[in-house]
Amino acid sequence: MKIIAKQDLAGFVNSLIKDGAWEVVGVKSKGDKYAFGPLDSADELRLDYDITLLPPKKYFFPQRETLFSFDVAKGVFTETSTAKPKIIIGVAPYDLVALLHMDEVFKEAKSDPYYAEKRNSSIIIGINIQRMTKWNFSAVMGCATIDHGYDLMLTDLGAKYAVEIGSSKGEQLLAKYAKNVRDAYANEVQMVGRKKHEIMNMGQQKLDFSPDLIPELLNQNYSNSQFWEKHSEKCLACGSCVLVCPTCYCFDVRDNPDLTLERGERVRTWDGCLLEDFAKVASGENFRPTKPARYRHRYFKKGKYLFDRFGFISCVGCGRCGSNCLPDIASPVKLFNDMYQETLKSGIEITPSTPPEVSITTEDRIDFVPKLATITRKVPMTANETLLEIQFNDGSELNHAPGQFAEVSVFGVGEAPVSISSSPTKKGSFEMCVRKIGGVTTKLATLNKGDIIGVRGPFGKGFDVDLLKGKDLLFIAGGLGIAPLRSLFNYVLDRRSEFGKVTILYGCKEPCELLFSEEVDSWSKRSDIVHKLTVDRCPAGECWEGNIGLITTLIPGVDLEPEKTYAILCGPPTMYKFVIKELKQKNIPDDHIIMSLERRMKCGVGKCGHCQINHIYVCKEGPVFNYANIKGVPEAL
Amino acid sequence: MKPKVAFFDFAGCEGDELQIANLEEELLSLLGHVEVVSFREVMKEHSNDYDIAFIEGSCTRLADEDRLKEIRKNAKIVVAIGACATIGGINSLKNYKDPDEVGRIVYGDKAKLFDTYAARPIDAVIPVDVYVHGCPINKEEFLHVVKSLLMGKKPDIPNYPVCVECKKNENVCAFERGEFCVGTVTRAGCNSCCVNEGTICWGCRGLVDNPNENSHKEVLLKYGLTVDETINKFRLYFAWQGRGK
Repeated sequence: MKIIAKQDLAGFVNSLIKDGAWEVVGVKSKGDKYAFGPLDSADELRLDYDITLLPPKKYFFPQRETLFSFDVAKGVFTETSTAKPKIIIGVAPYDLVALLHMDEVFKEAKSDPYYAEKRNSSIIIGINIQRMTKWNFSAVMGCATIDHGYDLMLTDLGAKYAVEIGSSKGEQLLAKYAKNVRDAYANEVQMVGRKKHEIMNMGQQKLDFSPDLIPELLNQNYSNSQFWEKHSEKCLACGSCVLVCPTCYCFDVRDNPDLTLERGERVRTWDGCLLEDFAKVASGENFRPTKPARYRHRYFKKGKYLFDRFGFISCVGCGRCGSNCLPDIASPVKLFNDMYQETLKSGIEITPSTPPEVSITTEDRIDFVPKLATITRKVPMTANETLLEIQFNDGSELNHAPGQFAEVSVFGVGEAPVSISSSPTKKGSFEMCVRKIGGVTTKLATLNKGDIIGVRGPFGKGFDVDLLKGKDLLFIAGGLGIAPLRSLFNYVLDRRSEFGKVTILYGCKEPCELLFSEEVDSWSKRSDIVHKLTVDRCPAGECWEGNIGLITTLIPGVDLEPEKTYAILCGPPTMYKFVIKELKQKNIPDDHIIMSLERRMKCGVGKCGHCQINHIYVCKEGPVFNYANIKGVPEAL
Repeated sequence: MKPKVAFFDFAGCEGDELQIANLEEELLSLLGHVEVVSFREVMKEHSNDYDIAFIEGSCTRLADEDRLKEIRKNAKIVVAIGACATIGGINSLKNYKDPDEVGRIVYGDKAKLFDTYAARPIDAVIPVDVYVHGCPINKEEFLHVVKSLLMGKKPDIPNYPVCVECKKNENVCAFERGEFCVGTVTRAGCNSCCVNEGTICWGCRGLVDNPNENSHKEVLLKYGLTVDETINKFRLYFAWQGRGK
């Protein structure tokens, strides 16, 4: 531990500013509040602050960030150059813990290069808490003090600061730019210890129980709809609680074309699961449609889902959510205490959850920049659906597994997830069946052979082909659900001998909506597959020889051996539960039901949060799921 | 072929058209993509042959309905611009007063000569495809909407409250400054421009799709507004949207 007089710390900060190698930022006044901002001089620093409006995560995961710029005519993508590395002065321990959490999230499986670069190049000078707002409960969460995660950590000792060295970067910085630094005397070390002890007792908010009960407490109350309705009744859905949170990381990605309409940039912005349209897909379907469900999701994400995934409760007790919520319903302490008391009354015993064994590995980095691809064939299929054959411009293969999806870009319009319709046995190009529904897909339908698009992927888990080998397969496709199933179906047809009996049930609303009609015709000529078609209705004047009725009406007539059969489903969200009911009538075991789910898959790598169903990221752990694994996931079906 | 665009104004201050005329640098680039066939504020020519109609102002006379229907018939896309057109604007405040009294206040003894009825947004008369909210409209958002239309894409108009932008901009909440704001129920998209400048959100972009008005009224009362003041806060811009509530 070192000691530096206050005027020498000011001198240190001023020489860092003067050096010009960094952008030096720190806590400053903003009205009656405080905020991190660029420092012109050490005089601006307010290390005696109670809380900053936004946490310092804004320097690593900014409110608005350009991912890359594009130029359709030149087909050139340039990742934007990075700014000067930052020195961030005045980070409180709870915000440091939050950054450590964020590090795990952004490096899990695929590392986020934008975050990692800023994080690795920055230097953090922390400050031990001097004042707290009445909302702060960081001590309760064990986040009021910290012994790592900083380069330097200051403690105010009156006319001087104690400086704890957290890294060699910090040590070197101090050695080079600070004057009159000396080793701390024993009594000064003791004083710092006492200060930290005082901090532990500083907060006014107290939890009635130990925070390690939070995951199980939540777990017991997931279905307590009355509780969630009561607590969310006043929610304004303004998103303030999640936007000011130091551990929230959900984001949205949009294109911003300039006035040439040819050039522009793709931008990532903060988003929040509390906002009404967060889980809404282009068709208008909102997968988390009610306020209580969105309100509940926030608490579960913090207290349960991230705990199960990473082993930490993703709340550091900074109290920003509580202080920013006008109707005063966002304070976790208040909610958890209410929940605890209610649960106690009902006689349920809550036991601490054991954190899972977590080993976060980084396989790869996220590439937000799509590869250029060309539309090589366009087949209009119905009034709304078009089949596109696509080839990468660099001649590479997509190398997808059946059931995977890719993110397709129309530069200037944006990016949308589209399932891959062709079998991986088809080489040189791949196919996608696109329904005109949102901005990107509507635009895709207007493009022609030769037009350039962008493709990222493939993403997610597809069908486990090895599991299906030798088994009887029952495909059940509703409407556009045929598109992802076709990637597996055609794979099976190309390797027909490796599979048992193959049956396909395919239904759509009206005859005019039947997709891949030529292929459907060709199925009739094959003796090695059974297929049945149905339409919900046949308007007067249209010709239809197949069944009329919902797809569920076809299932009872199928001849199958339940133990040998795997049912493979894809269709509109409402279809699943009815189809599963029929399959259960046929005695198909749960783990023989495989399904592909649709959600708002924005980033494709389990970060942006939009496709999440309870603890699962559909884009990463799906879109193909085994029913046995998701039947207990309430938001899945 | 460049799409033909026309601008029309009804009951309003023409401030939104002025915002567009004030685009200056961007205007030239924009004119590379569209042909303006009618824009009373900046040109003499007029034509009824247009693809996109931008309409400013609210409808305050029965006689204006025919003109609006004619525009709808001619245009492929109708864009309402500015609070009067999108949500009825402050013109709709008069709807809460006795029409005869309003006539007397404005036109005195000549009131009988003026045919007027309750002010209403454009979509109360004809279907509107795209909304550019605001009083006045935000130039950036207007450009975003035009670019989106040119690219054949539905513009991204947020369905979340102004609080989202305030938080991202790290503003000190108006309530924390002892002021009263309706940003909590107002549709964002303005980048919280008023609060950024140290004032409050008055609600000119109208309500989000599902505002929690009751909760926000409770908040206003809790922070010390009277019931009458609270009602006035909501009426300034939400008079039409909040009618009957």
